[in-house]
Amino acid sequence: MAGHNTAAPGFSQSYDPFADLSKYDDDLEALNYEDTYDGLGDQLDETDDAFNDDTFGDGGNVGSSQGGVGKDFDFFGATAKVSNAFEEEQMRFQRHQPAPKVPVAPQHDPYMGYGSPAYTQPKPVRSGYEKYREPEPTADLQVDASIWGTAPKKPATPSAAGYAPPHQQQQQQQQPASRKVMSLEEVEAAMRAQAASKTPVATSPYMHPPPLAQQPHQPQYPRQEHVDYRFQQQADIPSQPFLSPHDGRFASPADPHQAQLQGAGGPHGHPVTILQRPSSKHVPNVPSPLSHQHQQYPQPPQPQPPQQQQQQPGMPAPTQILQNPARVSGDASRMGGQQAHRQQNSYGRGQPVITHPGQLSGLSDNEKAAFLEAEARRAKRNHKIFVLSKDNGLMTPHDKNFITRIQLQQLVSATGDPGEYGTDASLAEDFYYQVHSSLRAGRPNPNQPLNNFAQTYLFQTGNRHGNMRRGRGPENHMQRMEQQVQRAVEAAKNKPKNKQLVIEGSLGKISFSNAKTPKPLLNIKRTDSGNDAHRPASAHRTHESNVGDRKVTLRAIEEVYSTLMKMEDHERTIPPPTNGEKDQAQIEWEETAEKLNKHLWDALKVHDPVGGSVMHPFITFLSYPKGKKAIPRVFRQLNHTQRTTILTMIVVHLDQLDVVQGAQVQTGEPINMSAAMRESIETFSMAVMPALFNLLNDTELHIVTGILGIITQQININTIARTRIGISVLTMILSRAEIIKENGLANEQSWHQWVVEFNNFFNHLEPTLPHIFPGTVTSGEDVYVWQFLAAIGIGASPDEQQRLVIAVKDRVMDTVALSKTLPSEMAKQRLDNVNLFMRSIGLDVELLK
Amino acid sequence: MADVEDSAAAGSVAEPLDLVRLLLDEVVFVKLRGDRELKGRLHAYDSHMNLVLGDVLETIYVVDDDENDEIRTVTKKSEMLFVRGDSVVLVSPHNSS
Repeated sequence: MAGHNTAAPGFSQSYDPFADLSKYDDDLEALNYEDTYDGLGDQLDETDDAFNDDTFGDGGNVGSSQGGVGKDFDFFGATAKVSNAFEEEQMRFQRHQPAPKVPVAPQHDPYMGYGSPAYTQPKPVRSGYEKYREPEPTADLQVDASIWGTAPKKPATPSAAGYAPPHQQQQQQQQPASRKVMSLEEVEAAMRAQAASKTPVATSPYMHPPPLAQQPHQPQYPRQEHVDYRFQQQADIPSQPFLSPHDGRFASPADPHQAQLQGAGGPHGHPVTILQRPSSKHVPNVPSPLSHQHQQYPQPPQPQPPQQQQQQPGMPAPTQILQNPARVSGDASRMGGQQAHRQQNSYGRGQPVITHPGQLSGLSDNEKAAFLEAEARRAKRNHKIFVLSKDNGLMTPHDKNFITRIQLQQLVSATGDPGEYGTDASLAEDFYYQVHSSLRAGRPNPNQPLNNFAQTYLFQTGNRHGNMRRGRGPENHMQRMEQQVQRAVEAAKNKPKNKQLVIEGSLGKISFSNAKTPKPLLNIKRTDSGNDAHRPASAHRTHESNVGDRKVTLRAIEEVYSTLMKMEDHERTIPPPTNGEKDQAQIEWEETAEKLNKHLWDALKVHDPVGGSVMHPFITFLSYPKGKKAIPRVFRQLNHTQRTTILTMIVVHLDQLDVVQGAQVQTGEPINMSAAMRESIETFSMAVMPALFNLLNDTELHIVTGILGIITQQININTIARTRIGISVLTMILSRAEIIKENGLANEQSWHQWVVEFNNFFNHLEPTLPHIFPGTVTSGEDVYVWQFLAAIGIGASPDEQQRLVIAVKDRVMDTVALSKTLPSEMAKQRLDNVNLFMRSIGLDVELLK
Repeated sequence: MADVEDSAAAGSVAEPLDLVRLLLDEVVFVKLRGDRELKGRLHAYDSHMNLVLGDVLETIYVVDDDENDEIRTVTKKSEMLFVRGDSVVLVSPHNSS
């Protein structure tokens, strides 16, 4: 008895489910049971009761009635549990009691109706044990029936009291108490009696608490008034010897321990005493006299004091039912519940444990205030936990880990192989994106955020893993999850290798694909050595097949580009320089660089035999725009000798270059050149010429002389001098010689050689000079020619200058004449062009005007 | 070195797209679904035959319902064009000369 008050705050939670029940009582007064019962209970399959806990989320506790019960249970589930407990009890009871002792069996049929006059024994009618007594299916209503069957029968409202007279009820209560089997009605009655015992109206012989103490407890018994009335009726009957066990029942339905202990104690025919919490067992030891006094109150009606029960199981002691109202289902909420429990106990350490409101009268105001505050806090907290824990236990730890693993797997498959990041392979695959992102965001790797995320995720889970208690289930889950991730990563790595899946019994293969490795629609085996595939095409080269030539050249160009990319990539991996000795990495790097260089050189085909009717491969190479564009990059990768060789090669074949061969101009005729040729010339000027120009600027005079000699002797100057590129090359050579002379870098002998060569060249060129101007005078594209003439004029002897002037005199005079007809700006431009030449020979156009 | 050997194979034809690679920076003729043809310089392609073309002349063949079902051509010029690969029917080198 004394224990009730200690756990009183818990009542509000445990009691909640029944609040609804009580409402039903009011409503159902006007309802016929037959109208409201939909017969669903009949459809229940009793054999599937084992799954009830799965359905109603009992946190995985196998013995449903043994597991923790939360404050969050719904009435349905709670009723099922209580009902189960009752069934257990009844089973044991039946084992010890002969069948004739169960007189109510015929009245258990819920369809009998309450209005029936035969319904004289309302108490034990629906107790949930029916299925053990009656073979009929109608009695096989377990869960639903316990709701619908018990609730309406409760004479819960005062108005219904007449239907179940108090004294009759009292008798009923006595009777079942002696059997230790109580129906829900009895429990309800006991509950009300208990509640009523704390009200001022209570006239119970053993309950006379001071009115002062009741105020604080009222909020925790919201239906107190209603109960009070009931109690008054019950209180009229002088003796209620077994009220205390019912008190316990009042608080018990949510407590699995109760069922457990009930099951153990009930069959022995002992009165059932329910202690709210284990701590309450020791309440009698509390020194407070008031407390002790109250502890003794319920004892007289009981055969044994409650505290003896546990220690003397053999004796006919009343069974104590321990209740921890804070028990909740589900792992997480259980923790919270324990905390709440601890806090409930804590206040009892500093001060006397208050087990009954009556004790308050003996306390000081401060203590009272503290107690009330603690009570209020506890009630508030418990309510909060109750609200929060509504959805607890819906997912088991296994479920949660399952979800986590799915998410991780998706993460891994979405990002591909995390291990691949940062490798050269990914760099080569989307190099520009990598560069772009590193430029944009300043982070080393565009994959970093994701990678970081994944790592952080794994790291965090690892941490949690570390904090876990060893040997627990969750640890295994974490290990399994990590293994899963590992497997997923492994699978992602292996994925490209397993591009096909052959399912047994299917007619074909299933090809996998992703963004990186698209599904291969054609499966052509790459030959072991590239040469095999190359050979047939190479054979074509000897034939003068244009198509074959073209493909060979195009392939060579691609080859050059591939090699260039490799070399440029290789450049970035150059090992840091070391002092003195070269280390292994440097040696290896240089070896690779050398091989790549040789490969590039081979691909350029510069050393293929010169001559013959077929155009030299390198010149063909240069005839393609992309071949021309490759030259600047090629030059960066070649050494000086190789570059000079290329320069020589170009000069030797200058007349064969597409930009020379197809770009002859006729002085005096409109320029008739295709757009493609113009573009080609433009490309050559932009790509190849600067490379040659830079190279030439580094060369010695004797090389320049040699180049000019080649041009003079081997090339048809008449051809090249009538092209823009040819003239540009010549200008380049002449300028270089002039610069070398002006800088004093040339010795007497080499300069003499140059002069000889120059004179030879001039002699060859002189007949062509009048024809090197492109188009007519009006076309105005002759700037480069004036530049060329200027270059000649500077290096020419006075005699040569004279011949030069004579050769181009007509054009000079025409241009000057034209300039007079042109707008001043254009005229000035034309004259300036002419002046380039005129000044080189010490004249000026002004002199001609 | 494996790298060098790889690059040796790069100039050879191991798969169809290697042939397309030879056309890079060349003027190509591209036939598309929907009676369209393109002529332009191939700047880039990928495994889906998505193409990037420059200086493109697009020719669309339209059948006029009104006038005796005659076929009319519409031409468009684009400086740069991205062609989605799923519409590409044919890619061929274009020899203008």
